[in-house]
Amino acid sequence: MKIKKIIAAFLVIVLSTSMMVGCSGEKKKEVNLYTWADYVPADVIEGFEKETGIKVNYSNFETNEEMLAKLENSKGGDYDLVLASDYIIKIAGEEGLLSELDKSKIPNYSNIDSIYQGFFYDSENKYTVPYAPGIPLIVYNPEEVTCEITGYESLWDPSLADSVGIMDTERVINGIALKTLGESFNTEDLDAIQKAGDKLLELAPNIRILSQDQTQDYLVSGEISVAFLFTSQVALALQANPNLKVVYPKEGLGFGVDALFIPSKAPNSENAQAFLNYILKGEVGAKISTQTYYLCPNKASYEFLPEEFQKSLVISAEDIPEGEFIQDVSAEATQLHNKIYTEFKAKLN
Amino acid sequence: MKNKTRLPHLYLALLMIIMYLPIVVVIIYSFNVSKQSTIWGGWTINWYKEVFRDSSLIEALKNSLVLGLLSCSIAGLIGTIGAVGMVKATYKSKGLVEYISTLPIMIPEIILGMVFMVFFSLLRLPFGMITLVIGHASFCIPYVFMMVKARLVGIDKSYIEAAKDLGATEVRAFLDITLPLISPAIVSGMLLAFAMSLDDVVISIFVTGAKTNTLPIKIYTQLKTGITPKINALSTLMLLGTLILVILSNVIGKRKRV
Amino acid sequence: MEKKEKKKKSKSKLWMTVAPLYIFTILFVVGPLIYMLNLSFMTRAEVWGVVKKFTFDNYLKIFEPVYLDTFIESLKLSLATTLITLVVGYPFGYFMAKLSAKWKKIMMLLVVVPFWTNALIRMYGWIIIFRSNGLLDKALIGIGMTEKPLKLLYSYPAVLVGMVYSLLPFMILAIYSVAEKMDWSYIEAARDLGASRLQAFLTITVKLTLPGILSGVVLVFIPSMGLFFISDILGGGKIMLVGNLIRDQLFTTRDWPFAAALSVVLMILTSLIIMLYRKITHVRDLEGIL
Repeated sequence: MKIKKIIAAFLVIVLSTSMMVGCSGEKKKEVNLYTWADYVPADVIEGFEKETGIKVNYSNFETNEEMLAKLENSKGGDYDLVLASDYIIKIAGEEGLLSELDKSKIPNYSNIDSIYQGFFYDSENKYTVPYAPGIPLIVYNPEEVTCEITGYESLWDPSLADSVGIMDTERVINGIALKTLGESFNTEDLDAIQKAGDKLLELAPNIRILSQDQTQDYLVSGEISVAFLFTSQVALALQANPNLKVVYPKEGLGFGVDALFIPSKAPNSENAQAFLNYILKGEVGAKISTQTYYLCPNKASYEFLPEEFQKSLVISAEDIPEGEFIQDVSAEATQLHNKIYTEFKAKLN
Repeated sequence: MKNKTRLPHLYLALLMIIMYLPIVVVIIYSFNVSKQSTIWGGWTINWYKEVFRDSSLIEALKNSLVLGLLSCSIAGLIGTIGAVGMVKATYKSKGLVEYISTLPIMIPEIILGMVFMVFFSLLRLPFGMITLVIGHASFCIPYVFMMVKARLVGIDKSYIEAAKDLGATEVRAFLDITLPLISPAIVSGMLLAFAMSLDDVVISIFVTGAKTNTLPIKIYTQLKTGITPKINALSTLMLLGTLILVILSNVIGKRKRV
Repeated sequence: MEKKEKKKKSKSKLWMTVAPLYIFTILFVVGPLIYMLNLSFMTRAEVWGVVKKFTFDNYLKIFEPVYLDTFIESLKLSLATTLITLVVGYPFGYFMAKLSAKWKKIMMLLVVVPFWTNALIRMYGWIIIFRSNGLLDKALIGIGMTEKPLKLLYSYPAVLVGMVYSLLPFMILAIYSVAEKMDWSYIEAARDLGASRLQAFLTITVKLTLPGILSGVVLVFIPSMGLFFISDILGGGKIMLVGNLIRDQLFTTRDWPFAAALSVVLMILTSLIIMLYRKITHVRDLEGIL
């Protein structure tokens, strides 16, 4: 009967398509990279593939936590190279998901500028290669802003009602409030955190946008007049409008690093080491930084960086020791952070 | 009913214009020189060139199209025959089963995604297209199921009985009478399911493998570095492709009739 | 054929049609559901994951005012979204059903195809139009209607409009697929018997399309409770809905049990509301969907 034939044909198509896409055939030379889309520039990937003949499978995640959930689930397998943020690398380490780098396979490792190493998530420099270090800064439009901006506290100024934009990141926003009270980003003192929460409620009228994406766009387009931006966003904002002013918050700087590591059961760890070696080359490091707009952690790249680029990155090495990482805190503190953030958001309406 | 006013047509046209307004903007901004998606910088066709050069983007697109087709087909099949069966069934637990089968859309995607991920690991399924299809089918089935059920209720059973009296078997009655009557619901359900699949990020991230990337994943995870007009260009090309497909199928359809 | 044999044959054929649905449901819905329920009674581990310590705390925490408020706000927004979508979408589906056969097919495609464009890009399209100094502002300032740029976006109304826009095709197609098979002769009969247009509409059309209204309401209301990216992008991240809360709990606070508890409560809440809706509209012959 005709219908039976149709069903049979349908099943054949379904099965064969799924098998085709699922099967890998003979073992090709490949490396599975896992990070945000376009974070590793296309020309870097192409350059690597051409030079080594190893294919790069570039998978994406949206948040660090999704990455860790997947990595836990695969018990450190499936992925060869993960590029993620500092605090999640620390947790991954505690969960036993990192594998030690074989530096003999990465001769270019010595190109790394040591001021970007030895941090809390990899204090002995055994597991990671820094990729994108940065310091978030305040940027404002002097034509629209009448008050003086010197630090986080300035964001509370009443003249900035409905004009401020910050990234929608709980620990960053709570952290700013903590800093204005003289506390550390990572205090586990529940009273201090609660006080910061109360202070945050006063900030609410000034917030126009809690952004998920490119906060600097809103500053450049005139939707907001003051923004708290990540390093790459600072550079892009200044590129679009050189008249914008940058402020180093006097209460204390934050600092963050996105870094690469090889998971404990990576299927192609040799190829992963080869990739790390490739991106640590001088010229490649320069290609990366001029496209990601973060600080360049590669000493050997400095000579390759174009001059205008060096100027647009307003942060220098001396600022680094000043910066405080936002780190994971106790379960209780973490839960309180979410509570005050939820209350803050409720006040925004 | 002889309704002479043009009101209905005006209403449809007005809403269509509103619905397509952002689409038109997306198409225009695909020619935007500026890397920032929302700020106009000037005209260029570079982004279209970039689309074709980006092999990982094309591969993600292919995966998403295959995934969408497979999921909405499976959903169409299971949802339709399920709905048909349910309408006829009379035993008590059927209400419960129906409720449970529409649950996937009641559970927040994030939780569903995480739960699927753990579950598929337990079942030792290889992460990739297979798990993606299962994940997507599970949230697509309720759409088809509900649309078809709503349509089935109230279909005059006498049509089917008449067919059977004339000697048709159960299956023939279904194919020749019921199916054509419910086909708008099946098609609506499948079209919507396809749209849902093409837009799914959360569940996909959790159930895909290291080698299978999908288009929505690529787009949403680009938020960190900024979504460029390249995606606008891709979307415009996809709309163009759909248009061509529709015109083609119309032409072929007309040919058949002649 | 003997009547008994006929019945047996049709029963086994019946099982064949529902079997795939059952199997799929049990494997891929009930299984995960049980896991989620299980998770909601566990405790968050100190650093990552969960500890198998049974507790009701997660459910109790939902009653804290800040979290309860989130549920209430989400409910208000979802109800508003559903109502507006119904009011806007019903006429659309209805008028669509009355078009000629050729136009019906065209319209169906026209309604769905925009939604094959990525949702994020569509949102950006709206942003380009409605943001300060965006296209709308430029047009209004150009014709002299306003002087300063309007601040339309990043507000509650903007989120509402965005939600309605995103969920409209579900309502439209749900109404359409039921209205399309409607026997218009009923209406003619009612008119012949003296009913006004409005009466005929209310007593006949609405009743007959009720199954479609119900599926439309379900297909709009339920997702609207979980959607978070629209409030993130069009609302400037200022509106905390249950969907955002669950996401935050899962990713930022890493309190999976609490997120699971929130999801269970969300599920129960939406089920109750659908059941209530069914009772109110006396839809008895609408088997299924509770």
